[in-house]
This record gives sequence, structure tokens and C-alpha cells, in this order.
Amino acid sequence: MLVDLAGGWNPMLGRLAWSQIPYDNPILAPLFVAVVIGTIIILGLITYYGKWTYLWKEWLTTVDHKKLGVMYIILGLVMLFRGFIDGLMIRTQQAWAVGTHSSGVFGATHGYLTPFHFGQVYSAHGLIMILLAATPLLVGFMNIIVPIQIGARDMAYPYLNALGLWITAAAGALIMISLFVGDFAHNGWFGYAPIFELQYSPGVGVDYWIWTMELVALGTTLGGINILATIIKMRAPGMSWGRLPIFVWASLSANVIALTSFPALQVALGLVAADRYLGAHFFTAGLGGNLMLYTNLFWIWGHPEVYFVILPAFGMMSEIFPTFSEKPLFGYITMVLASLAIAGVSWLVWLHHFFTMGAGPYVNSAFSVATMLVGIPTGVKVFNWAFTMYRGRLTFNAAMLWAIGALFLLLIGGLTGMMLAVPAINYMVHNSVFVVAHFHSMLLVIVYAIFASVIYWFPKVFGFKLDEFWAKTMFWLFSAGTTLVFVPMYMLGFMGMTRRLDYVFNTAWHPYLLVMEFGIVVYMISVLAFFALLYVSIRDHAKNRVGADAWGTSRSLEWLTHSPVPFYNFAVLPHISARDEVAWRRDNGIDHVQPDHYEDIHMPNNTGVAIILGGLTFVLGFALVWRIWWLCILSLLAIMALVIYRSFKGDPGYIITAAELEEMEKDAMCREAQIGKQHYRVGGGVLGDAIAYERSDLPPLASQPGSSVGLGHRS
Amino acid sequence: MQVKWRNNLKNGWRYAALAPILLLNGCAGNPYWIFNPKGLMADTDLFYLILDVVIMGSIVGLTALLVIWFMWRYQKGKNRGKYDPTWSHSNTIEVFVWGIPIIAVGFLSWFAVKGTFEINPYNPTVITNHMKPNGDPVEVDVIATDWQWLFVYPQYHMAVANELVLPTHTPVFFRLTSTAVTTTFFIPQLVGMIDVMPGMRTKNALESNNMGEYQGIASDYAGAGTSWMTFKTKMLSSADFGQWVQKVQQSPTSMTYTSFNHYAEPYINVHHKVAYFSSVQNGLFDHVIDEVMNGKTWSIPPMMTENMVAYMQKQDAEHRD
Amino acid sequence: MSSPASNVDPKTAELWDKGHYQYDVIATRTLGYFMYLLSDGMLFATLFAAYGVLSYQHSYFGGPTPADFVKPWYTFVQTMALFLSVLAYGFGMNALKNKNKSGVISGLLAAFVLGVLFLMLDIHDMTHLASLGIGVATSGGMSAFIVLTQVHATHIFFGLIWILVMMAQVMTKGFTTDVVGRLLTLRMFWHLQAIIWVFVYVFVYLWGYMS
Ligand code: HEM
Ligand SMILES: [Cu+2]
Ligand SMILES: [Cu+2]
Repeated sequence: MLVDLAGGWNPMLGRLAWSQIPYDNPILAPLFVAVVIGTIIILGLITYYGKWTYLWKEWLTTVDHKKLGVMYIILGLVMLFRGFIDGLMIRTQQAWAVGTHSSGVFGATHGYLTPFHFGQVYSAHGLIMILLAATPLLVGFMNIIVPIQIGARDMAYPYLNALGLWITAAAGALIMISLFVGDFAHNGWFGYAPIFELQYSPGVGVDYWIWTMELVALGTTLGGINILATIIKMRAPGMSWGRLPIFVWASLSANVIALTSFPALQVALGLVAADRYLGAHFFTAGLGGNLMLYTNLFWIWGHPEVYFVILPAFGMMSEIFPTFSEKPLFGYITMVLASLAIAGVSWLVWLHHFFTMGAGPYVNSAFSVATMLVGIPTGVKVFNWAFTMYRGRLTFNAAMLWAIGALFLLLIGGLTGMMLAVPAINYMVHNSVFVVAHFHSMLLVIVYAIFASVIYWFPKVFGFKLDEFWAKTMFWLFSAGTTLVFVPMYMLGFMGMTRRLDYVFNTAWHPYLLVMEFGIVVYMISVLAFFALLYVSIRDHAKNRVGADAWGTSRSLEWLTHSPVPFYNFAVLPHISARDEVAWRRDNGIDHVQPDHYEDIHMPNNTGVAIILGGLTFVLGFALVWRIWWLCILSLLAIMALVIYRSFKGDPGYIITAAELEEMEKDAMCREAQIGKQHYRVGGGVLGDAIAYERSDLPPLASQPGSSVGLGHRS
Repeated sequence: MQVKWRNNLKNGWRYAALAPILLLNGCAGNPYWIFNPKGLMADTDLFYLILDVVIMGSIVGLTALLVIWFMWRYQKGKNRGKYDPTWSHSNTIEVFVWGIPIIAVGFLSWFAVKGTFEINPYNPTVITNHMKPNGDPVEVDVIATDWQWLFVYPQYHMAVANELVLPTHTPVFFRLTSTAVTTTFFIPQLVGMIDVMPGMRTKNALESNNMGEYQGIASDYAGAGTSWMTFKTKMLSSADFGQWVQKVQQSPTSMTYTSFNHYAEPYINVHHKVAYFSSVQNGLFDHVIDEVMNGKTWSIPPMMTENMVAYMQKQDAEHRD
Repeated sequence: MSSPASNVDPKTAELWDKGHYQYDVIATRTLGYFMYLLSDGMLFATLFAAYGVLSYQHSYFGGPTPADFVKPWYTFVQTMALFLSVLAYGFGMNALKNKNKSGVISGLLAAFVLGVLFLMLDIHDMTHLASLGIGVATSGGMSAFIVLTQVHATHIFFGLIWILVMMAQVMTKGFTTDVVGRLLTLRMFWHLQAIIWVFVYVFVYLWGYMS
């Protein structure tokens, strides 16, 4: 047991007991039933259609960077939805529990959530949105796009890539299970010392918070290493640094941040765990602890993290503006320098998250100036996008609209960020909903960029475009929601409303809170529009099929290969001659030139090890949360045994012969020629006629690889 | 001279820049606490806020207009502007693209540093530089508990819970600490935020020339009772303040080290209860810091707010009156 | 013409790779591993920062400080054990150049034994502290001291398991690309842990002993 715990503990189940399952909670119990029914239906459908083998072979065990990316994005979207529901719950509580006369239900004196539950909801909301929605969504896009943009067949370490996904998924599962078994932390997504210490948070909530974050940190670090190594080592011939697509530069800068900053998070939370599990005194108020140390360590990671998520979003915008302005990005070199500068400076500003902690004026001034320095490269980016449009030929389709929305949100977020960077202003609005509005403006830049990218890159991955009408409808609804929620929020910030109030003492704020509640409803409708978008697009996919260059004006390398991208990306690796290779080939009329002969290529094999390791990390996390020591040891041993097993087994990979390749390429070109004419069926994907060959469509291995070449693969 | 310039800027821009927002509220009083400061510290903060918004706002606003103009002018098929498919670089524009933000940030940095010293909570020059030579400052020791505020007036050997009363035209100096967890002390119209942390001491100061009643808030999440951890701040004339002090000093209850231990137990102040303590054992503030550093905690019962209604009944039954 | 000028002539440009392009599997792997070590280094840097903040007089809270129990010669033996282990590993890697299997195995074995010696000394040290009643819960300063040194020891522990695995792989598989790559990365790992130990030795043990 190691430390004294309030409540029981036994060697078999640790702290786990029936009473930890909130079956009597009027919100969670029905939700739990719904989840169970939903799961049964989904599993039933998979069984009914006999898709288990397909799912296992093509998705769950895959090491294909595109499929892993798609799964990252699906995970991100699911978590985005969960986070959104949390947001809805927060807004509803605050719109309801206003003033002494407001009613209360479900054991709350005001509103429907007790303070403790309210704390859990907003803590989960913040953690989920930043670490389990935004991060996986962006990692997913980097996963799909970066290798194709640099002309590689896969990531540098395909197996590690799968591992990263499944560890992140384990983190998602851990935070989801906290809904139904035990509870979650109430100390905010970033945690305050010493409220997360055992004396003030005796339950398991904080432990869920710790281990969820630790798992995401691990998964993201692994993913970051992979993307960096891929960019540095796997560029196609001719892809010099000066020809690198701008999204790749953005991913590079972002992952440099990830690689160097996540360890700080791991340590910060590891030390919290030491306090809670071993009775250490890192962050306690007494006995020699230092609680300000926690805040520093956390934000040393926390601030770089926010740039880790915004930089890829900037990269996405930098890809989309030129395509729909039909001209190259303005100031490529400037853009690259700005990204690197942002990554560099992001390390030197963490203290702006706690100017009010009482550091002296010299320290505060220094961090204030450093923070404002970030505004320079950020401003440069905005100007460069503007001048990309200048003298262009702009098409305002849905992807472009989302990107422009992101640009305007960035202006607002930047303005308010520059306000917060001045201590004299910060003292007034720190910990107020003004800060909440600031970072939602910024995080919405990411959400907008992500939806722009979903629309923009969807045809590349699936071979058909999303429906324009519904994509635009969703955009306008979402933007209406954004306005209705965040304009009042800024106003409330100026009224002095502080954040995280589960009971709102000032009735003058009520009208604004009601408008925000209405805004959330509008957001809800836009979510429905998103479902409609998916439904209509899949229904009409035959109509919306596209060829390699889906938009006709695209510029970077990913548009050179077929849509959907075959599992080997490029039958023959392209030789790069220009910065915007596809635009260059198109302009010179050589974009349809195909390679004249093929050679054998070597590809990595699928593996079930990654997903099993993911499952085991989940078990380990769960066992740690509930302090079931035997299970901790067992799962740890199992993880080690599996890693060693895999290392002995290795992966010889397999060979696609030149003949097979030629066959598949012919099919793909034939299919492209048929676009708009009739259905042409190849392969056996979910969408049948739209999906290219999958790995299992290959004939049983015709040829065995000659030598063992480890994780790498050659052309 | 400088002060005048500032006032002009403040009054002029305050209403010009914020007119649309202010209009929304019409005559319902001004709910915008941040735009309506009543103390020197908050006033200074507003000055910098307006300055920042004016400078950054003009750049951001112009950029927005530029983007909108480009969107209109270069829309495909409208042929309003010339299409130049290769244009992607211009040294002149690069100079502006980097130059404008650099100049703006340089300018703002200078003011940011200046402002940081002016409202430095440990030694705010807006107050200390103009301190009346013989007007004695009032000292207040603030002790935050889970979830109440105790204001100790060492000069008067008395304390008040959950209500702060101060004289106008007098500098007030705070020392702050907390018993259990971290939170933040904030009176929007008078003074900005400062963290209060267990086992540590922070400082803050304010001065106000406006009589009235202002809301005080615990602005950092401190657990279940945070939302009710508010207090009213009353600014009184010196004479009224003197009378109020006498009133408090007649209160029958007093605060000792022992009674503080009981007082500091978790308590959600839903009824906004105010309590007066006519005397306080000397050195309570330092004593609390010492105790906390020695490892004393006032832990909260597990899941105390699972059922808030039930808990409130329990609290009302168990606790004082 | 909407692309930036390229100095390549489109008429003669090489558009597809002729099949000569290869990338270096081992170099890619060591690069990736190097980046992992970078993040591991950051992890220790953060721990050192925490230790720095928590090693003031008041962090020990009147309780025992490293000065009370650190024996420099004892830790010096540990240092020598780890350094010799790294040296032995280096000899093993020298043998790798000549594809000398038994040379590699004996190098690894020596490295393993010395590593175990290091770990045994560390465990003995910790049990000794425990017998004095000193643990992570003693004070903030002791928490930092113990967690920092034991995180390092945990790295050594996993490194030792890894050495065992590599000995088995060299024996069963010989010098395949995979095995050679792993031997190289393990060497990087072992070196980094020794370097970090130098910092631990100097800043935690010696400095703690002297102050
Ligand atoms: C021009 C660039 C930016 C500046 C000057 C800036 C400045 C600041 C400052 C000073 C704070 C602290 C506010 C406070 O707590 O008192 C803050 C908070 C925050 N910012 Fe930014 N920021 C910028 C860009 C971004 C970006 C790009 C993101 C991420 C997408 C972001 C996300 C956040 C978040 C999440 C928080 C608050 C976290 C929390 O307290 O829960 N900011 N920003
Ligand atoms: Cu949110
Ligand atoms: Cu920040």
C-alpha cells in the first residue's frame, strides 16, 4: 500500500470496489447503458458483415502510415466529440447555476453538477481537447502526409509508428473508463499544487489524470522521434531542404518541440505520482516540498505544447492557401524561419502562465518581453498568407473557407495573447474567462485548420471529395457557434468573471451565459452537419471520384501519386526537381509522365505486437490507478517479454515484385481514366470501388526477401 | 504632464474603443469591472490594457482589412485584380512583414516593463512614489482557508472573516498566505490578482479614492467551495473606517492559535457569513506559515461534495450556528 | 507557370528514381535512437532541475542531508564499476569490427557483471538508508535525492536486461543488420547512462557531501 489511503485497499483488487462504480449517478448510469448498447451494436455489425478478419488484417495490425494516420484521426474525432460533450455540460451548468435563487438537482445546490463533478468535467475537457483530440488529429495528419510529401514509402520506423498509435489509444481508453469506474481529477487539466496531493484529492481521479497524461506523453514522444527521423533520413532523391513542402517544415519544428518538452511533463507528473504513491514531498506545502516547482515544470512543457499543436496547423494553412490562390506561398524562406523561431522561443516563455505567482518585476518583465517576441514570427506568418492571396486567383471552396476562418481566429487570439503577455494587463484577466477565450481562439485555429485539412486531403486518402454543400454548411454553423460562445466570453472576461465557477454568484452575467448556451446548441447542430457531411459524401462517392491531382491546382508531392494512395505510396520513387514539384510538372506539361519500368520493392510486414502492447499499457495504467500491484508487475513483465520476443523475431519484410507492381499500377491508371464514367471495381475495401489495392489483395507471397534488413525497407 | 496625457488617452480611447460594448449595456450600470477601475492599481492596469489594444488592435485590424480586400479583389472569375502566378517574393514586403511586428513588439515591450514595475505587487511605484508623507498605510494579513478569507488587521489587533473593509486615500499593504491549497486574491475594480500559497507569503497593495462596495473573488480553483469563496470589499472614508474598527473591536469573539485550527477546517461559505474577531493572538500570520511548513494540513473529507445538498445539511448541523 | 523557377530543365529532367536510391538502415536507426536519448537527457535535466530546487537547507527540513550519509569512496567504487562496464562494452564493440563473436560476448558479459556490481552497490546503499529510517517521505530534499538516483538506477536495470538480450541474440543470430544496429544503440545508451552518472556523482553525491 506504501502510503495511507482513505478508504479501503486489498491485495487482490487494490482500491477497486463496487462502490466505485457510479451506478446510482443519474447522468453516468444511462450513459453507461448507452455505451454498452452502442458497443454491442457495433461489434454485432462487424460480426454480421464478417469484417473481423478484414479489420484485424488491414487496420488493427497495420504498420501502414496512412492507415495509422486515419486511425489517429478517428481517435481524435471521437475524443473531440467527448470533449465537446464535456463543454456542453460546463456551459449548461454555468447557464443554470446563476445566483442564489437558481435551482439545483441531482444533489447539487445549484445547477445539476456538484462542485466535485463540475471540476472533473472541465478537467477532463481540457486534457482531452489538447492531448487526446488536437494532438492525435495533428499527429494523424503528419503521419499521413509527411511521408508522401517527402517521397517516402513509409515512416522510418513503421512498427514504432503503430506502437505510438496504440499507446495513445490506451490513454484515450483510460480517460474514458474513468467515467464509469471511479472518478477523474478535479484540479484542472494542468493541475494545481498542492490540491492534487492525497490530502486534498483522496480519490483515484488524480491518478487517472497522471497516467493518462503519461501515456499520451510516451505515445507522442515515440511519434515525434519517428516523424523527425523520417524527415531527416527518408527524403526522395532531389528533395533538398530548400524544396521541402512547408507542412513538412512545420511538422519538423513541431516535433522538435515535442521531443524536447514532453520529458518535462513526464517528470512533473512522475513526481506528483511519487508524492501520491510513495509519500514523497516534492510539491507539498510542508516538509521541504516546493509547490511552485510543479507549476514551473508543468508549464515548461505546457507552453511548448501549445506551439506543438499550433505549428502543424500553421503548416496546413500554408498548404491550403497557395492551392486555392493558384500561386506559390509568399516568402517560403521567411515561413520556414518563422516556424523555427516559434519553436525556439516557445521554450523561453513558460512563466507567462503564472505572472501572478509573485516573481519579482525583473523576472516578470523578462518573460513578458520573451512572450511578445513570439508575436513577431506569428505576425509574419499572417502577413505571408495575406500576400499569398495577393495577385492570386482565389477559390472559396469549403477547405479555403475553413482556412480563412482559422486566419481570422489567429488574429483575435494573437491580439488577446499580446494583451495577456503584459503583466500589468495579465494581473486583471489571468484566471478569468478572458484567458479561456484567448486559448479557445487559438485552439480553434487548430480545429479550423484540421477541418480544412480533412476536406483538403480527404480525396488523397480515400479517392473522392467530400460534399461541398455540407462542408460549407458545417463551416457556417460552426462559425456561428464560435461567435456566439466566444464573443460573450471575452465580454465576461472584461466584466471580471473568473474561470471554473460551478456556481455563478453574479446575476449580471446571466444573459451572456445564456447566449453562450445558445451558441453551444448551434455548435451541436454543426456536429450534426458533420455527420450529414460524412453520410452524403460516402453515399455520393462515385460521383466525386478524383484523380491524382484532386484539386487541379495543388502543388506539393503528395498529389503526384494516385488517389487513393496505394499502400506502397509510389511505385517508383519520384526524383524531385522543384520546390512545388507537382505544380512544376503540371506547368511544364510533364505531370502525366509515368515511370517506364518498375523494380521490386521491399515493405514491412504487419504485426499484432503493437496493438497488444497498447492493450498491456492500458492494463498497466489501470492497475497503477487502482494500486493493484500484482497486476502492475504482471503487465510490466508481459510488456517486457513481448518487446524481447519481437526483437528476437524481427521483421524480414516482404517483396512486391516488379510484375505485381506493374499490374497494380495499370489498374490504378485504368481506374483514373474511368473517373466520371462508371464504377470500376478493384480491391476489396470498405468502399469497394473507391479504394485502391490493400495489402491483403496481394497474391500470397510470391517471393521471399533475400537478406534480413530489419525495420528499414529499400526501394 | 505625463499623467494628463494618460488621462486623455484613457478617457478618450476608453469610450471610443469600447463604445460598441458599452452601448450594449445602456444604463444598467457598468458591469465591466475591468473597464471601470476604482483604485490606483486597477487604473494603471486599464491604462496598459488600452494602450496595448490600440497598438495591437490597429495592426490586427488593418491586417484583417487587407485580407478581406485581397479576398474581394482576387476572387477567381471576377477579374478585379491582376493574376500573377509566379509572384512569391518581394524584399520590400519582407521588410515590412518583419519590420512592423518588430517595431510593435519593441514598443510594447518598453511599456510592458514599465508597467510591471508600476504595479509590482511587492513595491508598486504607482502607490509608493506618491505616498503621503504622513498618511500611515494600513496593513492587512490575508489568510485563505478552505474556503474562507480571514483578514487580520495587525495594527488594530483584530480580524474579520469574509469581508474586507478599508479606508480611502490610504495605501493598503497586504501579506497573503493560505492554509491548505493555492488560490488567488482578486478584487477586479481595485487590484489585480496575486496567488496565495500555503507555507508561503506573497504581497500586494492597493489604494483607492472611491468609496463604495467592490466584489472580491478567489480566482483560482481551490476545491469544492471556491465558487462561494467571495468577499465584499468596502471602501470607507477615514472617519467611517474608524467607527467600523471600533465596532469590530467590540465583538465578543476572538481568534487564538487554537481557535484558528478549528476555524480553518473546510467550510463552504454558501450563506456569505461574515465574522468579526475583536482580538487576534499576536503573530497569527507567521504562525500559520510555520505550521504549514511543518507539515500541518487541513485535509478535506473524501468526496465531500458528491452530494452537495446533503453535505450542506451536515455542515450546517455540525458547524458554528 | 505558377511554380517558382527551378533550375532544372523539364525536358531533360530525371523524373523517377532509377532504382539506385537507398537509405542507410543503420544510420536511420541510430539517428532515431539518438533522438530518444536526447529526450532521455531532457528527462534527467528536468530531474536535476528539481533536485537543484529541492536541495536547499530548508528542503531537508532539519532532517538528514546527503552530507550525513554519503560516503564518497563508496560512490567512487560505483563510478569505477560503471566506467569499467562501459570500457568492457567498448572492447566488445572492437571485437565486432572483426566479426569476432566470442570477443563480443565476453565484452558484453564483463559489462554486464560490472553493471550488476554497480546496481548491487546502489541497492545496498538504499537499504542502508532505509535502515537509518531515511526514505522518500523524509523530506522534500530526500525525495529529490532518492528519486533522481533511483531513476538512474532503473535505467541501469533495463540496460542490463538489454545486455542479456543482446548476448542471446549475438549467439543465436550472429551479426545481422538488426543485431549490429541494436549493439550500436545499446552502446549509445550505456554511454549516456555513464555520462549522466558523472553528473549524479558530482552534483548529487559529492556536492551533497560537501554542503
Ligand atoms: C502570439 C502568440 C501568443 C501569446 C503572446 C500568448 C500568450 C499567452 C499568455 C500570456 C497566456 C497566459 C494567460 C494567463 O493564464 O494569464 C496564455 C495562455 C494560454 N495560451 Fe497563449 N499565447 C499565444 C499563442 C497561443 C497559441 C498559439 C496557443 C495554442 C494553440 C495558445 C494557447 C494557450 C493556452 C492553452 C493557454 C492557457 C492554458 C490554461 O491556463 O489553461 N496560445 N497565452
Ligand atoms: Cu474548451
Ligand atoms: Cu503560453
